[in-house]
Parts: sequence; structure tokens; C-alpha cells
Amino acid sequence: MKTRKIELGFTGPNMIPMIDIVFQLVMFFMIAITFENSKADERVKLPRDMLAKPPEVKPEHELVLNFGYQRDKNGNKINAVPTVFYNDRDFEVGELTRVLDAEKRVLEETQGRDVIEKVTVQIRADSEVANGLVQQLIKKCQDSGFTKVSVVDRGRKGL
Amino acid sequence: MKFANSTVPTKIVIPMAPMINVIFLLLIFSMLSMKIVSPEANFNINLPVTAPSHAQSHASLPVIKVGLESDRDGNLTQLTLGGTNLGNDEAAFDRLNKELLLLIGRPGHPHTKDIEVELDADYECQYQYVAKAISLCTGKSDPQTQQGARYVEKIKFAPPHKPKS
Repeated sequence: MKTRKIELGFTGPNMIPMIDIVFQLVMFFMIAITFENSKADERVKLPRDMLAKPPEVKPEHELVLNFGYQRDKNGNKINAVPTVFYNDRDFEVGELTRVLDAEKRVLEETQGRDVIEKVTVQIRADSEVANGLVQQLIKKCQDSGFTKVSVVDRGRKGL
Repeated sequence: MKFANSTVPTKIVIPMAPMINVIFLLLIFSMLSMKIVSPEANFNINLPVTAPSHAQSHASLPVIKVGLESDRDGNLTQLTLGGTNLGNDEAAFDRLNKELLLLIGRPGHPHTKDIEVELDADYECQYQYVAKAISLCTGKSDPQTQQGARYVEKIKFAPPHKPKS
């Protein structure tokens, strides 16, 4: 009896749909990825607000001052006096004038003399910091020539 | 005449395995590097110099004064609007928002653009209360639609108090 011989070709898995999906995933992650470039300090616990919203236009020049307490791993305060965390160093508000003056000098030398008017100082103040100290900090910035000051908070949930 | 190149064309198979390997590496790198960060926000207000000013901003629009008094630990003891005590709890901030709306009348109207609020907070008062007061002076957000209505654009701080000894 004669039987019909069927030739079996390559029967490996079809890779094309998988490659399509993986490419889509790669594209998504590569577009969504944001490399850590934030000057935010995790020790600062910002107050939350419903009306505050992220700025529509990012300031051309910004100077971020994190103002909060030294905290342990559980978030408890180590030091009762809040400090400004800047360039991996801690400064009390009173010591900040020379830091701001130095920053202003560097900015003027590198970007031109008019740059100070364009710099926005973003104050990320901890929710437990005394208001008087935040006002002192704003005053120090303005005395050093930084006229644009904004206060930052966490914004509403789900933003 | 015979040509040397007389071989039968063969099907060239592109090896997929190295490409898949590289793509998987890219995928894993991207997935591990991705960090979901909640965006930070600001109040979209300009904070003027904290110097005492006796000049009225507008002849017909007096400055609305909001006061925040606190104990030595910075806890809010009294929230006031133009001398009226509104309390010191969560409801006090809602009352502040409602009273401000009554004072302003029509939010967003061109005449209300020049209205200015002066925040007069104690030195020790915790910044979270000040931030909340700033927020509720600037407007209100509908919790369902998340749409905000702007009341006041101009907010300034009163000259700072001295710390309680």
C-alpha cells in the first residue's frame, strides 16, 4: 500500500509577534524613561496642595534650595534646627548669604550679568519648618539679587 | 562560454537570536532605569520682597489680611481673616476659602485681579499651615472634576515676626 508522504518543514515557534511586542515595550520604556536629574532632596517632606500645579514652562534657569530637617531612616528628626541642603552640604539659613553670592558670581561669569533676573529660586521647604525661617530664606535670596522666588509643594494626588 | 559564477542562489537566513538578545537587554535596562516620580508643583504666585509697605496696592481694593497664630511648637492656634477668628482646625481653612469668595464676589473677573492678600503668620507657625492658607487664598479645586478656580493672584507675606522667647 502506498502512503502519501508529507514533508514536514521547520516547525519552530513563530518569533515575529513576540519581537513586535518586545519592540513596543522597548519603545515605551525608552520614551518614558527619565534619568534622575532632579535636585530634590528626599529628606524634605513637602506639604501637599490641591491647587498647585507643575509649571507649564520650565524656568530657563533655576536654583533649587531644599530646606528641611536631618532625618533618620524612619523619618524622625535628628536635628531640631532645619538646614538648607545644597551641593551635598548643609547650611543654616544665616550661612546662606555667602553660598548665594558665590552662586550668583558663577552664574554671572558663565551666563552673563543679566542672568540673575531670569533665575527662579525654588524653595522646597519641609512642611514642619517654621514660617519665620522660610521668610528669612526668601529674604536672603532677594537680598542676594534673586528676585524670582517660588515655593514648591507636592501637588494634588494623581497628577 | 562557461561562467564561473554559476552557483544556485541560496536563501540567506538572518540570525534572529543576537537581535533578540540585544532587545531583551535594552528592555531590561529600560525597565530597571525607569523611575516614576510624582511631579512637583508650585503656586504660580510671585512672592514680593518681605519689606514693610505702607502703600495700598489699589485705592479701592484694600489688602485682605490673613493671620496665622501658633504656639511655640508651631501648631496653629488661630486662623483669622481681617481680624475675624475662623478657628484652628481643618474647617477653619474651608471657612477662610468661603469668606474670601464672599469678599471677592466673582472669581476670575478683571476687577478682582488686583486684589491682594497679605499673610501674617507667626514665626514658629509650621510652613504646612502657611502653604495651606496660600492655597486656599489663591482659589479652590473641585474634588470631582479637579478643575481649579482662581480667586487671588497676588499674595505677599507681612514683615516677619520675632520668635517667641
